[in-house]
Amino acid sequence: MPSPARFAFLVHPLAPFHRRVVGVRQADLRGSLGLSYDSLEIGELCTFGMGGALVGHIVTVPWLPSELLEDQQGAVNAMVEAVGSLDGVRAVGLGSLLAVVGGRGETLAQHVDVPVTTGAAATAWAAAGNAVAAASALGVERVAVLGVGGAVGEAVARLLQQAGLEVVAGGRGRGPKRRAEGLGIPLLSPEEAVRGQKVVVGAATSGGGLSPNALEQGTVLLDVALPSTLSPGPLPKGVRVLAGEAMELPDAWQRGFWGWLYHLISGYGPSQIFACLAEPLVMVATARDRPFAQGRSVLAEDLSDFAEGASSLGLKPRLAVGWRRVEI
Amino acid sequence: MPNPQDSEIFEPVQSAFAEALGLDDDEVEYDSRIIEDLGAESLDLLDIVFRLERAFDIRIPRGGIESAVAEAMDEGETLEQHGVLTPEGLRRLQAAMPEIPAEDFQEGLKVSEIPLLFRVATFCRLVCELLEAKESGEEVSA
Repeated sequence: MPSPARFAFLVHPLAPFHRRVVGVRQADLRGSLGLSYDSLEIGELCTFGMGGALVGHIVTVPWLPSELLEDQQGAVNAMVEAVGSLDGVRAVGLGSLLAVVGGRGETLAQHVDVPVTTGAAATAWAAAGNAVAAASALGVERVAVLGVGGAVGEAVARLLQQAGLEVVAGGRGRGPKRRAEGLGIPLLSPEEAVRGQKVVVGAATSGGGLSPNALEQGTVLLDVALPSTLSPGPLPKGVRVLAGEAMELPDAWQRGFWGWLYHLISGYGPSQIFACLAEPLVMVATARDRPFAQGRSVLAEDLSDFAEGASSLGLKPRLAVGWRRVEI
Repeated sequence: MPNPQDSEIFEPVQSAFAEALGLDDDEVEYDSRIIEDLGAESLDLLDIVFRLERAFDIRIPRGGIESAVAEAMDEGETLEQHGVLTPEGLRRLQAAMPEIPAEDFQEGLKVSEIPLLFRVATFCRLVCELLEAKESGEEVSA
């Protein structure tokens, strides 16, 4: 029987609580009690399998967000060490801020022999798929996309156009204007872009830049921004904020206890995954040796390849609020 | 201290912005506002900072200019009230950011709006300060 194709997905603790869990996983008493993190090491948290042919290793780089932002070069060095600790993986995916610090995967890729992919293509694919589903359910043919200046926002807009929807682009500045022009649409301010729209994709990387009051009643916001697209405040009546990057848990997904626990504490919930994890998976499943996304853009050809690979594996976007699937 | 407008400072800064934002170099001007004019978002700024740190072999401190200004204020002075800069806070901020036109420091400016003031020139000035501090072994607050 051939050995399974392997990929790695690098993650980091989002909060001190997560790092305590890493301490428990590494049987480090002081780390698990939050007394000391010095002894926590780069190491495997869990593995996932899919149909016996694919194995994913979830590897933690035990740095908190503040530490990653403070020392990006150090973070890259830690990621290089993490990749170096793995044997036989054919792709490396990056989770959360690891996909951002150090030049969005580019610097890491210069130091390792394995292709490095950031998750931007998968995130765009899932968000676009969810937006198409929401638009269909609500009977609208137009979707507002905020953050078209970024890799994910631009890719979402392109996918929505390919799906036959009209896209209203929201953003500010020269870069976003140029990318909107490349899509053949004008750039509006975020407030103007969402006016009158029932489906909005929030993909601006700054987040928190849009007042909830700017949204129409009953709008579905598919949010992939971190922090959230909306500034704090009460939502207008009927507005729903969905996890834009949510995907159904693949049928053949296999996970042990630590994998199950990872699903819970990472925010996936018991029956879904976030799209970025799927990107290195699709790479190894399709024997691809180039990343789907790296740096600041996602090429149309790579986006198309990801979509084809994801569909062939039966991967599906999922309309969800938190852990829950929702109907629209 | 090197001049922020000198080509050995401005050109690498210009390239860092252009590469991080997917723009041509000549679209990044010394006086460009990084958010309103160039469309930079917070994650872009991370990328820009990383590129500048590598280009100049410096460490750009985190914490925001407001922290640095607050630390420099005299006893009894406050930087902001309810998220809005006090007149003294505004004056201190203006002094700390001489590259920003005076008319941008409007009464009622919120702390959360400070990044809207940033220009490419702000990063050129910061790089110069950090290079000088590196020479003399001092620490600089952003």
